[in-house]
Amino acid sequence: MRLHDTFITALTGVRTHASRSLLTMLGIVIGVAAVVLMSCVGESMKGVILGQISSLGPKSMVIFPGQQEGGPSSIATGHDSLTFEDLDLLKKLPTITHLAPVIFLPGTVSYGREEGSPQVFGVMEEFFSNQNIVPSEGRLIDNDDIDGARPVALIAPDVRTKFFGSGDPVGRRIRIGGNHFTVIGVTKALGSQFFQNADDRVYVPFSVAKNISGQKYLNYITMEAVFSFDLAFDDVKNLLRLRHGISPSSSADSSGQATWDETKDDFVVRSSAQANEILSAVSLGLTAFITTVAAISLLVGGIGIMNIMLVSVTERTAEIGLRKAVGAHYRDILLQFLIEAVLLTFIGGVVGLFIGIALAFGAAQIVQGILSTYIFAVSLPAVLAALLMAALTGLAFGLQPARRAAKLSPIEALRYE
Amino acid sequence: MTKTPLIETRNLSKSYFNDDVETPVLFDINLTINKGEFVAIMGPSGSGKSTLMHILGFLDLHTAGRYLFQGDEAGSMTDDELAKIRATRVSFVFQAFNLLPRTTVFQNVLLPLLYHPTIPVGERDGRALGAIKIVGLSDRRDYLSSQLSGGQKQRVAIARALVTQPDVIFADEPTGNLDSQSGIAVMHSLQQLHREGHTIILVTHERTTAQHAERIIHIKDGRIDSDSKDFTRIVAKDVSSLK
Repeated sequence: MRLHDTFITALTGVRTHASRSLLTMLGIVIGVAAVVLMSCVGESMKGVILGQISSLGPKSMVIFPGQQEGGPSSIATGHDSLTFEDLDLLKKLPTITHLAPVIFLPGTVSYGREEGSPQVFGVMEEFFSNQNIVPSEGRLIDNDDIDGARPVALIAPDVRTKFFGSGDPVGRRIRIGGNHFTVIGVTKALGSQFFQNADDRVYVPFSVAKNISGQKYLNYITMEAVFSFDLAFDDVKNLLRLRHGISPSSSADSSGQATWDETKDDFVVRSSAQANEILSAVSLGLTAFITTVAAISLLVGGIGIMNIMLVSVTERTAEIGLRKAVGAHYRDILLQFLIEAVLLTFIGGVVGLFIGIALAFGAAQIVQGILSTYIFAVSLPAVLAALLMAALTGLAFGLQPARRAAKLSPIEALRYE
Repeated sequence: MTKTPLIETRNLSKSYFNDDVETPVLFDINLTINKGEFVAIMGPSGSGKSTLMHILGFLDLHTAGRYLFQGDEAGSMTDDELAKIRATRVSFVFQAFNLLPRTTVFQNVLLPLLYHPTIPVGERDGRALGAIKIVGLSDRRDYLSSQLSGGQKQRVAIARALVTQPDVIFADEPTGNLDSQSGIAVMHSLQQLHREGHTIILVTHERTTAQHAERIIHIKDGRIDSDSKDFTRIVAKDVSSLK
């Protein structure tokens, strides 16, 4: 028998038992739909998380004051552990550059009768390049503003909308606490960074914020690694540990190097590279989870396929006997039933694929209302893998029934009632 | 030079084995059937006549003796060779018709051609339609097998049996499930095929059915009891127009 005829025969077999075929497919349909849905959601979530950190350059680093989460509470380390002296010493490290300290200026921000409470950042010029911030109107804060301690402010888009609507904000005067500032520009929208709205901010010169607040410590420092992040990371940590009198753990390890207990640090160094690593770990975990779900659902679907195929072989014993009586070879019958099984799983897989994508699309419409950066995305490798797995499931679970059918002796099959 | 017979058995025997218990069914069958014969194998149920037909039709294997089909030894054939011989040289008409359910007359008749190794794809439809015409069912070609009467089903089975132009057509109790009128129509078709030169081997337990053949071989308790051409032949009337 030609392969084409075998294929048509198998297709006819699937069609003439339409309702049973549909029920058989259901397991595969649901399994593949679930896998596709989950992988699409995973892909979309990856997009959301990537969006949080992609606005930062790959070498971008930040030092925060305070303890790492989970550290011993006995160590008195507060939010004031990063000092101006630390900054001056850090500036001498050759492995980091573009150091930009930040001081938060407390107080309500207002324009006319409008009041708001955006976060007010006292920043250096380097801060903008570190954070990829560019102006959409007017200009950024420059070194002249900082050196001259000029009362100027750069506002983010949400603040602009709140206070000025569609009017021109540049040149207007806003109040922060009791002080007046002249708006010199508006930043381009950043969206959210690490799930905090980066568009509800006001930036003022670092010197001004320092003078007004009288603060003796820094809220955080942004910088960039010169070469590799790892080198910069160690340099920064070791310097700050020395400065803050944090001692290494009592015992040195075998290489003779001092070992450090990170939970004793009164500062935290973070980088976008680290965030990326965490993200890949999360997405790897997600992938493993989806794969497990896929494997289980396809296993269940496959057992369903095998079950029905075995029933089908028994039910169609007389048909098999007849086919053998008119000259069907072993491989003709084997292929016919194998192709039937693969067709069932493959068609089920395609149907499941479309249902899964439709569900993911629907979910995206709903989630977008809450999380605007959630964009409908389809993971092509996951989709292809699901289809391939579905077809392979048919092959694996269809083989045994097909062999049973093909091995039937013609006369016993014909006699079967 | 003597002509090679179509079918020749020498001391052919068959036993079934169940858990090492031997149940002999056929003993030392010696028979010769030539091309163009219409032979009835007759006997009561349990006599072994069906088993003999299955062996002669390559659906079952004998356990001792020899079976020569056009001089070829059946006992030494591989499964693939047996499948090929079933596809090209022999065909069957069964008591229970054995049509594919939910399948049209045309598709049923086409079926053996799908497994035929040499008939070109382009000739299939023409051959199937020709065979359907021979049994007088051209107007029913697109009916599903479930929409036919018993007699019509059996005539579809006959069309299916002759579509590959086999060397021999085996008919196993072809009228067993039919009323007498339909039975006559089926026997008429078989006799007509015989007149056109087909070799037909009919298995039946009914004397009157057997009398449609030109030679009757009696099987009793697994042995040939008699082999005779001396009997009153019955010629089936053409009643297909009535159905």
